[in-house]
Amino acid sequence: MRPFARLSGPSAPAVLVLAAVAAWLTTTAAQQPVRTRGVKQLVSELNAPGIDRGLRDADSPRPAPTGSGRRWVNGRGAEYLSGSLIVRFRPGTLPVTQRALLAQVDATAGAALPYADFDIVTLAGGADPEAVARRLSEQPDVEYAQARYRVRPMFVPNDTLYSRQWNFPQIDVERAWDINRGGSSNVVVAVVDTGVAFRSGTLRFTAMAWQRDDGVNFPALGQVDVPFAAAPDLGADRFVSPRDFIWDDNLPFDLAGHGTHVAGTIGQLSNNGMGVAGMAFNVRLMPVKVVDTEWDYIFDSPFIGTDDTVARGVRYAADNGAQVINLSLGREGDPAPAVRSAVEYAVSHGAFVVVAGGNDALEGNEVERYAEFAPQIDGMVSVAATGPDRRRASYSSTGSYVELAAPGGDFSRGGAVGGILQQTLDLDLVETFAGPVSRYTAPRFDAFAYFYFEGSSMATAHVSGLAALLMSQGITSPAAVEAILKQSATDLGSPGRDNEYGSGLINARAALRGLGLAR
Amino acid sequence: MTARHGRPVALAALVCGALVVLPPAAGAQPRTPVTRPAAESTVRVRGVVEAGGRTFTASESFDAVLGSHAGPLFGAGADVLVGRTLFVSFGVSRFQKDGERVVVAGGEAFPNGIATTISIVPIEVSAGWRFAKPGRTVIPYLGGGVGWHRYKETSDFAAADEDVQFTKAGFQLLGGAEWRASRWLGVAGEAVWMSVPNAFPGGATSAAGVLGEDDLGGAVFRVKVLIGR
Repeated sequence: MRPFARLSGPSAPAVLVLAAVAAWLTTTAAQQPVRTRGVKQLVSELNAPGIDRGLRDADSPRPAPTGSGRRWVNGRGAEYLSGSLIVRFRPGTLPVTQRALLAQVDATAGAALPYADFDIVTLAGGADPEAVARRLSEQPDVEYAQARYRVRPMFVPNDTLYSRQWNFPQIDVERAWDINRGGSSNVVVAVVDTGVAFRSGTLRFTAMAWQRDDGVNFPALGQVDVPFAAAPDLGADRFVSPRDFIWDDNLPFDLAGHGTHVAGTIGQLSNNGMGVAGMAFNVRLMPVKVVDTEWDYIFDSPFIGTDDTVARGVRYAADNGAQVINLSLGREGDPAPAVRSAVEYAVSHGAFVVVAGGNDALEGNEVERYAEFAPQIDGMVSVAATGPDRRRASYSSTGSYVELAAPGGDFSRGGAVGGILQQTLDLDLVETFAGPVSRYTAPRFDAFAYFYFEGSSMATAHVSGLAALLMSQGITSPAAVEAILKQSATDLGSPGRDNEYGSGLINARAALRGLGLAR
Repeated sequence: MTARHGRPVALAALVCGALVVLPPAAGAQPRTPVTRPAAESTVRVRGVVEAGGRTFTASESFDAVLGSHAGPLFGAGADVLVGRTLFVSFGVSRFQKDGERVVVAGGEAFPNGIATTISIVPIEVSAGWRFAKPGRTVIPYLGGGVGWHRYKETSDFAAADEDVQFTKAGFQLLGGAEWRASRWLGVAGEAVWMSVPNAFPGGATSAAGVLGEDDLGGAVFRVKVLIGR
């Protein structure tokens, strides 16, 4: 059941007991595909305020968090979860027909999930989810079937205040603030991501033993009380409808720093005498956690970040009043109909959706499956990244689906300060697993620092921030937001739309000014 | 003003010329020279004060930004009458209206709350023919000419280089009828059709560009008070 070997070897009797328990668990899992695993317990509502540990621009580069250690299968360009898949039957398909179709592939449906218009089905044996999905897709009663592809945040973090935020002048944000200073608190932006450092509290987890991708084994830490705090430069009283689809509760704490950094670009408190600025610093933020990271794995979260989780998160955000939904995430592999359907639902409910264009230009430039369908939806845009020199970031994926470009940072051309600077978790106190085992301790999520990150994730957050400003101006139609973002973009690269920059680099002031009769 | 407006201006001149050179059927009828009043061969100048309304050919664009493609105008000018039938008129009028800047998507306009003011000042020079007959108190007339249209668009939050001001040339055709209320006072009702092509830039830089409209012209309906003989 576990994806990686534990450290200590059990004795023979214990093996028998464990085997019996495992068999029982397997049977149960067949009936209930997502069972409760790790436990996250709020042991205290209070914690000391977040600790600001300053600017971190001189650290040596640290590797990006790459995986949560689950059992993944390498598919065609993307990893996916073994043992289950996502299926949507056509409306009107009788339950008996559904069961019969699933029986043909030795699959059983689980309980219906909230915020989902699809089923998660469990596969018996070692059947390959991609192969089974292809078989099911051929059935006339099946609208789509897909593997549960893993999603990941779109960033390449680097350890490395306003004068350092070259990204805002690049898209004329300062003059845009002359028109609309930070947007309205009536606008809600959903950060569908790894969570956000949105409040204080102490949570009790059980940290299991695990093995890092490079084979290093880490011991179980047992029960640990982990302190959390709201990021000081985000504020604590502007968050609405928080939801965690990884832990299935309303405490979407960020255990990696990605979501908090993205939220900072969208709405970091500004003009407050500390730290850095954000695009739309008056809007409210909705933290929706759909991506699991290392500590979620170590704490054995019950859910994981796959297409179904993302789709549910998007639907939740739309149903709970988000006008802008930021998706600084994505994946390659096969198409993503569940997520597409969720985005269409969100747009039809008045939400403007922004998705990362991808970071794989240097690694095969595979098609980004979430960004891929953005051009077909009026009210959703995919975003490429630019560096400090206004050129496409070296890593930023290219393709016909790229619709806009925004600052994402580029360490390869801008050095350590070539990224996007925002406040996030102090990664030294979070990524205790990144170094030797001797330095492995329980993490803390109540200390913060200013880090430069790069990635189309960061670019996406700029577009979401601008969309929030437009919404604050009364442009509430997602299609209209998309139209003005494109009409006002600064054309870069080949004249007209191109595969590197789409319609061009967003221009915040031009977008907010809108169009006059003659100009 | 520019070379690309040469054709419409030339067309207007041709129409005016034809109206001046070709006498109307009524003028071709035999008449006795001794009965013609001496004043017909003189040049008279009269002042004009006008008020009316205008609509714009770029209706969708004006609707988008101003909420309407029609509005009032006021102006003044002078008519030069050569004899009884030929006239040359000079006029300047002003249209001004407030609106909001917009986002245009799918042919629909979404105001963004930024106030804008548009003013248009056409300077018109027209010539034409009055179908005057002795004893007639209502005199129809037709004419045409050229115009220079000064356009100005200002909006809140605009930097110095973000407001718009330009002058474009166009042409107009007009027709109306005047009624002499007294020897020194008359009233005329007039309809004018104007064309000012290529006034608005194409592409995505303006509401007119997005909506595919470039003509600043339209129709004018106005009442003129004629002061003078």
